[in-house]
Amino acid sequence: MNLIDATHAALRLLLSADPELWSIVGVSLSVTLRAMLIAMPLGIGLGYLLATLRFPGRRALIVVVQGLLASPTVVVGLLLYLLLSRQGVFGQLQLLFSQTAMVIGQVLIALPVLIAFSLAAIQGADPRARETAVALGAATPRVAWTMLVEVRFALMAAVCNAFGRVVSEIGCSLMVGGNIAGVTRNMPTAIALETSKGDFAQAIALGIVLLVVALGINSAFAFFQGESRQ
Amino acid sequence: MTLLGVTDIAKSFGERRLLAIDTLTLSAGQSYVLTGENGSGKSTLLRILAGIDAPDSGHGLYGAQRFDWHPYPDWLRREVIYVHQHPYLFHSTVADNIVYGLRARGVDAGRREALLAAAIAWARLDHLLATPPQKLSGGERQRVALARAWVLSPKVLLLDEPTANLDAESRRQTIDLLRGFCAAECTTVVACHDRDVIALPEMQPLHLADGRIRPRPVASD
Repeated sequence: MNLIDATHAALRLLLSADPELWSIVGVSLSVTLRAMLIAMPLGIGLGYLLATLRFPGRRALIVVVQGLLASPTVVVGLLLYLLLSRQGVFGQLQLLFSQTAMVIGQVLIALPVLIAFSLAAIQGADPRARETAVALGAATPRVAWTMLVEVRFALMAAVCNAFGRVVSEIGCSLMVGGNIAGVTRNMPTAIALETSKGDFAQAIALGIVLLVVALGINSAFAFFQGESRQ
Repeated sequence: MTLLGVTDIAKSFGERRLLAIDTLTLSAGQSYVLTGENGSGKSTLLRILAGIDAPDSGHGLYGAQRFDWHPYPDWLRREVIYVHQHPYLFHSTVADNIVYGLRARGVDAGRREALLAAAIAWARLDHLLATPPQKLSGGERQRVALARAWVLSPKVLLLDEPTANLDAESRRQTIDLLRGFCAAECTTVVACHDRDVIALPEMQPLHLADGRIRPRPVASD
């Protein structure tokens, strides 16, 4: 099957509501959305604390977080595999090869992105914003909320970046999910599998969905960013 | 009657000693104009009084209550309002900006609406309500910031060069609002170089030189 034939077959698959294909898309989006729902408050909250608190070891912690931005997802998967495997610290939880394990892995991958970008957003905010909130009598939680609202578009960029990173990651999902059909097979692991089997139509169809998701996220970000400048 | 006083206030930046004030007292309901050369520490003094920055040493007295800056007491933040030279308006609406401090104080929605309407009328902001705050001119921002302070009925208002870089009409409007605070017997300290503000009859002069409050030299500023 040449590339053109494979692309035609992929488009037919997409339009034919193929249950297997859309189940893979469903697993991908479900796992990533759950991971993002957990990672967003954690990552943005930790980013805010790192930006505003002063404590011994803060700079070292920032360097570690920034270093983790480049961590290979397969290494995150390996560490998580060791922790969740039968002999691992959390082996008794029997989470290996489950969607929960994939969610945990994606949370770990998304966190450094969210923390580092939120930290940069808060540090880059106009210092008068915090001073004004404080001068007007806002208590610490309201000051924090005000600052996050003031840099909301930079935070959305962080969320888009993290989403893009986790929805397309393969290393961790493959290692802790196991690529089980209908359970833990998501778009990246399915693309890799179908390509290795020579079923390019399925791989291209999933690749198109993945690209559309990524473009959709970035378009939404561009729209909101445009709104903020009005 | 003294409302706010500070004693033995020192502030240095590196080797440079910016403030070394033995005593500064502000009387209740009195308005002051704080003059001094650029870099003399006027803004720093206002920021210290507002609790935004802390001095290296010193303490204060508000009424009969002693305080310091470690931390600056929350109850005092509710009495003292500081307005930046270039006020920051939050990225929401003009109305949200005006009621921000009221929300922070837990004022109920009905009272907030009433105070918002009064503030809009006071600062003549009706025609600006639909404009995004970031699109306002310098003078308009200053008026929104003054309305935002006014709704809180502060006991002490600290204004950092409120008329700097404004056109003639905006300056006139800002000075009018400033006189509104003075008339309301709010203790007001205005750091500025503006001769029209310095010449206001309700203003008592404070002059900052060499880090200390000194008699204002004749024909300065």
